Amino acid sequence: MIKRGLKRGTAVAASGLVAALTLAGCAASTETSSDAPVTIRMIAAQYTDAMQPYYDDLVTRFEAENPNIKVEVEVVSWNDIDQKLKTMVQTGDLPDIGNLNYFSSFAADDLLYTAEELVPADVLADMVPTFIENSKYNGVAYAVPDLASARLFFYNKDILAAAGVAVADLETWDGLELAMQKIKAYDSSIVPLALPLGPEEAQAEFMIWANSNDGGVFADGEWSITSDKNVETMEYLGSLVEQGLTNPTPATCNRTDCAFALFAEGKAAMLNGAQFLPNVLAEQESPVNYGFTTFPSNRADGSSITLGVQDYFFGFKKEGNLDAVQKFLAFLFQPDNYAGFLEAAGGFLPATVSAGAALADDPALAPYIEILPKAVFYPGTEASWPAVQGEMQQTIGKAVEKGANVLAVLENIASRAE
Amino acid sequence: MKKILAGPIPWLTPMLVLIFGVVLWPVYEMIRTSTLEISGSGKEKGFVGLDNYRELLENPNLVGAFVRTIFWVVVVVTLTILISLALAQLLNQDFPGRRYVRWALIVPWASSVIMTATSFRWMLDGYYGILNRILTDLGFIDESEVVEWLGSSSTSFPWLIVVAVFVSLPFTTFVILAGLQTIPNEIYEAARVDGASPRKTYSSITFPLLFTSLSVAAVINLINVFNQFPIIWVMTQGGPGYDTDTTTTLMYKLAFRSQEVGQSAALSVLNFAVILVFVLIYLKATGFTKKEQD
Repeated sequence: MIKRGLKRGTAVAASGLVAALTLAGCAASTETSSDAPVTIRMIAAQYTDAMQPYYDDLVTRFEAENPNIKVEVEVVSWNDIDQKLKTMVQTGDLPDIGNLNYFSSFAADDLLYTAEELVPADVLADMVPTFIENSKYNGVAYAVPDLASARLFFYNKDILAAAGVAVADLETWDGLELAMQKIKAYDSSIVPLALPLGPEEAQAEFMIWANSNDGGVFADGEWSITSDKNVETMEYLGSLVEQGLTNPTPATCNRTDCAFALFAEGKAAMLNGAQFLPNVLAEQESPVNYGFTTFPSNRADGSSITLGVQDYFFGFKKEGNLDAVQKFLAFLFQPDNYAGFLEAAGGFLPATVSAGAALADDPALAPYIEILPKAVFYPGTEASWPAVQGEMQQTIGKAVEKGANVLAVLENIASRAE
Repeated sequence: MKKILAGPIPWLTPMLVLIFGVVLWPVYEMIRTSTLEISGSGKEKGFVGLDNYRELLENPNLVGAFVRTIFWVVVVVTLTILISLALAQLLNQDFPGRRYVRWALIVPWASSVIMTATSFRWMLDGYYGILNRILTDLGFIDESEVVEWLGSSSTSFPWLIVVAVFVSLPFTTFVILAGLQTIPNEIYEAARVDGASPRKTYSSITFPLLFTSLSVAAVINLINVFNQFPIIWVMTQGGPGYDTDTTTTLMYKLAFRSQEVGQSAALSVLNFAVILVFVLIYLKATGFTKKEQD
């Protein structure tokens, strides 16, 4: 028995070897016969499951037009893509195109092409200027925006109506707190506000609340993480937690599996939502009757902000890849292809002026396009932002725990900024 | 020389290649990385000597994680061994259906640790967890009260320990069970004839003869529990903050959240040193050195 198994194993191994040799032979022959084809590799973000089919189709059509260029697109989930790119950099196995929510630390290490090298001038000229501003490191753009999103405040219409809360009550922080108390009084099993300060997206939550109070992380060329306004913001949130108006332990509540889930089931009345939340709710077949409005504000001028988040395409400098990278990105940004990209990604804001104009009448996007001029962005142009963000994701939730030393938490986060 | 080349060398080569490629080279790379400055994007910025170690020792989260790791390892291994001793004793008795009980004990071992940890995580969830449901039904907590078991370290760390013990039990129990079965029946018969009480029999015969199995089980568990990553990562990610981190999860967070690859490599060298000590204890316990002397 053992002997027979062994023989079979040897046979399999031998056939594998033959196959490998044949393949090697093929590879060798193509390399010599054609005129130096270029293969480029792209690590792309998995906005939705539709991304891989989109890229498969795009690459097929691109390769038909450019027989000398081969493109390999690997679509990677948001959980892994950051680590994947970093590992590739560390092992020197650079991809040619990256797609991520930050770029500055790569630019700081002089690994990237400038935006001018990356895409043709006409494509660059079509980009929304604010987004290009946010793609700069030391004054030079090293990435191009691929898409963006904005956020608004979501609420459960039925709960608000039953508790006697009007949407207009949610304009200010005081009004919000009062509304939350009403909701709690109406039904104590409902979480008035889902507050996800868990590692997944705590930095976004912080940005929204802090900037709604004239705070923030970066202002006038300096980090401002430990500002009085930020301390005040976290103390306000801490008081909401202490009154039992939020989920009990925000520090371990992640956005997707905690906050969104609670809202989708009608267990939470309100939360900071994003443009893609309606898609999430539809996917989960949520029965919730929701509406959205601008974020409650505590700013001196009473105005409301939104958090704009943009993601990036960037190209890694490698011998002989520039032409192929440029051609592929130009192809991707052709109006039809880019529209397909946005559709596959699922309801984001376009990064180009032309696509924006085409989508301006879309009722689902209109409120976000309208609020975008009031958007604050992450200081993505700072090289130490990824480290600051990493620390903030892990520890900002501790600032709303009972008896927390808010300033100490913020100082620790600020210590990661260089 | 010719004789050696024709003799043992060809047979040893695959193994030597394996040892160099899979063991020694990564160790070398790890130590080398710990002496390099590595930027947030992952690029090497050159040799910095022991700077990473210095920074690591100044890291405010290191001491807490280290103390917690010791506590974690000692408590998990002790509980595992104590419970396994009892379980093995039980499984060594003859009773109807013993075979099925033995099978059942393998289940936590056979299922992936990630799966077990994920199940526990959702069982302990404040809003959807079965535990809160049961406690509510039994009247221990109020309907509207949400207890987030994994929300603070005072409750989540004990639960992590419970899960770690749970997944360590099968292996430990079977090692001890195997040990029990090697004790010849004649010795027990002799003890019975001499009129030894069950307690005396256990303390003078069973326990001493189990010593080798026990030390093997203990050291393998020490290494496993020390290196335990998935349970902590799935259930709390070391959070909130750094409150439930061990040096193993801290190592991961340093590299991938705090962007401090150098510090992370320095910590992995320290972790590796600790493991080496455990391995030496293991070799000693299994009589590796003694056999060599024979």
